[in-house]
Amino acid sequence: MPTSAIPVIETNRLVLRGPEPDDYPDFKATFTSYRARFMGGPLNAYEAWMLYAAEIGHWTIRGYGMWMIHDKITDETYGMAGGWKPAQWPEAELAWVIWPGSAGHGFALEATHAARAYFYKTLGWQGAVSYIDPKNLDSIRLAERLGARKDPDAPTIDGNDTVWRHPSPTELDGSQLAHGIDMEIAHYADPLFKPKGYAID
Amino acid sequence: MTALIPTIETDRLILRAPQAGDFAPFAAFYASDRARFVGGPLTAEGSWRMLAMEIGHWSLKGFGRWIAEDRATGAAVGLIGLFEPEGWPEPEIGWDLFNGFEGHGYATEAALAARDYAYDMLGWTTAISLVKEGNDASAAVARRMGAKPDGVVTHERHGQMHVWRHPAPAETSDGGMEAYA
Repeated sequence: MPTSAIPVIETNRLVLRGPEPDDYPDFKATFTSYRARFMGGPLNAYEAWMLYAAEIGHWTIRGYGMWMIHDKITDETYGMAGGWKPAQWPEAELAWVIWPGSAGHGFALEATHAARAYFYKTLGWQGAVSYIDPKNLDSIRLAERLGARKDPDAPTIDGNDTVWRHPSPTELDGSQLAHGIDMEIAHYADPLFKPKGYAID
Repeated sequence: MTALIPTIETDRLILRAPQAGDFAPFAAFYASDRARFVGGPLTAEGSWRMLAMEIGHWSLKGFGRWIAEDRATGAAVGLIGLFEPEGWPEPEIGWDLFNGFEGHGYATEAALAARDYAYDMLGWTTAISLVKEGNDASAAVARRMGAKPDGVVTHERHGQMHVWRHPAPAETSDGGMEAYA
């Protein structure tokens, strides 16, 4: 699948597009940093490049993958969100990463909510999980805000991660949870609204 | 940028884009001891990420490695082509033959076609191949292609590798057919 064939998703504030060569420096900056400690990093430059190339090839092999999150107006990148399933992973993962300087604006919530909707409505997924390091509290909070629940019985990738199971399409569709997510995103998008407390993705 | 991966035909082989269906022979090679000279052995997950990386390499660089397929049987015989991830010393012509396809000259045949493509279509003015110490079969391919030893490089992941410098485009204007002699 050429990167140009990867579907484009528009949300309130964001455009999700396939990973492009020009976006690599932003990816590298995060994956070679301490920010990547819960995602197999920090990586060296060689490993970061190989992983970025694999992000692109993932789309060809699986027909889905991780989108690059862009600001709808400025085109600036904020991180990535989408699906991820290398060989031997128990289930398809709904995954996200936000560049450290872009945290706290609800971008991961907005992008992952849209990615999940795409997988459910367009690709017909009946569910999804997120594999999260138990020390990665920001990601656990995001999983909870997306309505995912810890599934202690589900197989993990390597025993060092916890499995968070997302609500199924039926559980999500038209639910109070779905409306709550939309409302939270709308509040982030509204400059009059200032969320209180610790900055979250 | 679209990764339109060209197809090249040689006497016995078709060089084509790597795809999902190549995973089995690809992973079998990278799981085997034969992969010890090229960063292996790898787990199935590691091989899968590697296959995905080979596809993405085309998008990021505009060139990459092909799956060499036997024209007669359709079998994937190896991963051969042009390689230059971040931090690589120079653009490289590389070849990995999948298990069971050694000894037929497939690597030489495909690598010569890849070199012609690099010189004729991409305008490369030189090319190297990197061979780990003890990988005599691979060194023999480089030698058959007319490449000559040109020092040693050390890579953070792959360690020490011997550099084989290929003849320049002008020196291969006959298509390197002497390599088959």
